[in-house]
Amino acid sequence: MKKSSVIGIIIIAIAIAMIIVIYTDSSTYSTFTEAREKQAELYVVGVLNKEKDLVYNPTVDANHFSFYMYDNDSTECRVVFRGAKPQDIERSEQIVLTGKMVGDEFHASKILMKCPSKYNQDEVEVTEATAAQALSFVPTDNR
Amino acid sequence: MDITYVGENLLPGKVGQLFVILSFGTALLSCISYYFAANHKEEQSWKTIARFAFWANVVAVVGIGTCLYYIIYSHLFEYHYAWAHSSRALPTHYIISSFWEGQEGSFWLWMFWQIVLGIVLVFKAKSWENPVMAVVMLCQAVLGSMLIGVEIFGERVGSSPFILLREAIPGPIFANPDYLTMVTDGRGLNPLLQNYWMVIHPPTLFLGFAAMIVPFAYGVAGLWQRRYHEWITPGIPWALFAVMTLGAGIIMGSFWAYEALNFGGFWAWDPVENASIIPWLTLIAAVHVMVAYKNSGHSYFTATFLVLVSFVLVIYASFLTRSGVLGETSVHSFTDLGLYWQLVAFNVIFLGIMVYLLVKHKKRMPSTPKEEDIYSREFWLFIGALVLSVACVQIISSTSIPVFNAVFGTKVAPPVEPVQHYNKWQAGFAVVVGLLSAFTQFMKYKRTDVRKFYAAAIASLVVAMVVTALVVYITGVYTNFMYILLVFSAAYAVVANGRILGEAIKGKWKLTGSAVAHIGFGLLLIGALVAAATNEVISVNSSNYIAVAGFDQVEKPGDNLFLTEGEPVQMGDYRITYVGDSVARPNVYYKINYEKIDEETGRVTERFQLRPFAQNNPQMGGLIGTPATKHYLTHDIYTLITAAMSDAHQQAQPGDQGGFEDYEEPAIYETNIGDTLRYRNGYIVVEGINRDATVQNIPRRDDDVIVGLKLKVHAVSGESYDAEPVFLIRGGSTFDLFKDVEEQGLRLRFSNIIPQKDKLEVMVYQKPVPEKKWIVFKAIKFPYINFFWCGAIVMTIGFLLSIFRRNKEIKPEKV
Repeated sequence: MKKSSVIGIIIIAIAIAMIIVIYTDSSTYSTFTEAREKQAELYVVGVLNKEKDLVYNPTVDANHFSFYMYDNDSTECRVVFRGAKPQDIERSEQIVLTGKMVGDEFHASKILMKCPSKYNQDEVEVTEATAAQALSFVPTDNR
Repeated sequence: MDITYVGENLLPGKVGQLFVILSFGTALLSCISYYFAANHKEEQSWKTIARFAFWANVVAVVGIGTCLYYIIYSHLFEYHYAWAHSSRALPTHYIISSFWEGQEGSFWLWMFWQIVLGIVLVFKAKSWENPVMAVVMLCQAVLGSMLIGVEIFGERVGSSPFILLREAIPGPIFANPDYLTMVTDGRGLNPLLQNYWMVIHPPTLFLGFAAMIVPFAYGVAGLWQRRYHEWITPGIPWALFAVMTLGAGIIMGSFWAYEALNFGGFWAWDPVENASIIPWLTLIAAVHVMVAYKNSGHSYFTATFLVLVSFVLVIYASFLTRSGVLGETSVHSFTDLGLYWQLVAFNVIFLGIMVYLLVKHKKRMPSTPKEEDIYSREFWLFIGALVLSVACVQIISSTSIPVFNAVFGTKVAPPVEPVQHYNKWQAGFAVVVGLLSAFTQFMKYKRTDVRKFYAAAIASLVVAMVVTALVVYITGVYTNFMYILLVFSAAYAVVANGRILGEAIKGKWKLTGSAVAHIGFGLLLIGALVAAATNEVISVNSSNYIAVAGFDQVEKPGDNLFLTEGEPVQMGDYRITYVGDSVARPNVYYKINYEKIDEETGRVTERFQLRPFAQNNPQMGGLIGTPATKHYLTHDIYTLITAAMSDAHQQAQPGDQGGFEDYEEPAIYETNIGDTLRYRNGYIVVEGINRDATVQNIPRRDDDVIVGLKLKVHAVSGESYDAEPVFLIRGGSTFDLFKDVEEQGLRLRFSNIIPQKDKLEVMVYQKPVPEKKWIVFKAIKFPYINFFWCGAIVMTIGFLLSIFRRNKEIKPEKV
């Protein structure tokens, strides 16, 4: 057999192995319901529930942050993150979580946020000089 | 109705826009003229036009840069680019960074480097000038079109950096002719980019990208002009130059990521990083096969293909990073500026040229009927190039998942653990590449003396094994077989090339460049492996771990450590204390003292302070931390703030004096003169009434009743303060004026007079006890990372030496 055909066969074999591995390593964007069924590490896309409290008490535990999120099917779930609260999560428009379901909670290992940040160029913030507060009057109620 | 706006400086934008159009037009003209000049050699006039157009293009590109720089430097916020990427507070040297923060600026940078390279080619390329410059100017024209920013048939072509704010963003304030008085400052530069590496990294990277066109152009010219064999020789030094600058640019980017980003590392297999390393790897492969072809006549097609595909991949990389296709998979790509289809066209044009030429000229390409000998250098160079290419295919396929989704409408997510996913493959490829770059150096072209080869290869192998054992033992990576293998292959590369370097110094000086570059590569591999494999989070929160309800306690303790001001905590070898912060707006620096204490004597053996800082920039997404790193010869200690009390940032801003929000609920007392009131830090004595009280700014009217209440505040610490809140009746309404005793955090109000009870009502407001300052931080130890940086520098030097050598091999042409 010619050397070039041997090399060709080896490369094809590696290529097939690569495709298989990329396929098995790749994940899907799913929902909390699916996460509950599969019990595997996956991505969940959703939005923050801004009505409920975001819990982060670094004085108690600097590595515990929890919040509630709606996934794309509008299912709500409590999310627990082992780490410091990502800055500005309150302003996020969309959240992509990596992690898995543990009981009724989603334990996230990574949080990726889409924020209306610098790249969102549809708003001009106008700064106006605020009127100086000359008087420190406080009207009292007439009793 | 047209509004006449006040205060706008429209001239630099108009001039700039003129240069933009000029740069596109001249590039196109130059490209076409060079094309005809290459095809009609007898006519000199084409070349004259082409050169004239090229020099006009140089003027235009420099003009664009000058206008844009002037706009940013003069803070002309009527221009969108200045408003979106800079602010008044920005130090001058970062104005340069804001120049290329946007896509338009980085396209300009690319064009600028292309004209610099063009100038070199015009003077040096001799008989290659016409065809090579035709290709370069084609690329220049395509890049120029990205900046035009005019609408043609309802489609916007390009995105101009000179667009005005009011044109870019519709908003009600632009109905106001003097809207500029309200737009007082720009949004500023992303704090992450405010780093000195960001001043130097983008230009180097773009010089690398721009330089990739030159070997591509030589390849195209070689096929087009049927000078198949000749283009390789002048192509090699250019390919080496591109590899060197792009490599240096990538390493600088990784240094920036390590110094300024909060990734916690120097390489994260982020799609943007991948996009820049892919063409680098293919061009490295190309260089090796080009050298093999030059010396043996084998693998011509592979060499040409790799050279051409490298530049196509550069364009693909810019499509990935600039079209917005990566979306949520990458944290630091640009978003779509409406250039999506234009970028696709850019890709298609150059891919088309490549495929067309390769197919058309396939039959006429030089080839040798004989197969390569197994004991020949060209055979193994070819294998090495193949391995690098396969490694690239893996990176491309995994990185392109979002592109597949866009093309096929699927919704596949990229691997959940990208670092493991890529490392799994790339570690294997790296082992093979390391081994190849070691023993291939002992091979000769065409035919090697087998006995000599084994003698040299095995001798180095034994030394490499000893070195591996030492390295593995000292760095502690012996737990994983793959790590040992990788260290061995890298060590083998270093040892074998060290031997070649030894011979080079003795007289075979030609081999110096290659030997040095390969040694650098080996060191880089070892450094990357050891730092990535053995870095450990040292801020582990295990000693005072408090379990929180609703949380699984079996999980590993977290990576973040909580520190209260002035309270030392033991962390591994160090006793760390958060000693306060200092504000240098817009940054807040958190001072953390590290002390190493000798256990027996209890004496401090080593002490240093790290000052990681954070910038609170609400417009950019809140608190953004920048790490501080203590560098040692053998390891680095990397510290990053992950959360902090927001107070430090609020205090930095001028406080609001009027509100009561900062105070606790008041205590209300009905008092008589002589009474004593308690507060947290002392007591207050009601001393008397002042019936002639006056109020600043308010002239007294006849029917006004203005009464002051004389209070004396006695603090526990011994100080006393006088305060006189005032009560006022005017026209049947009552008002009162509070007095603050700021030192004690007190606000006192004389809020009522109750004649029925003969009492005076006093309200005492107190500020809450200031919470102790705290920070949450993360510290990571990176061992032996200096190997990585050192290897990178050595490799770059090696490339430089090779460029000199290969440049000398170009025979002077008779023109």
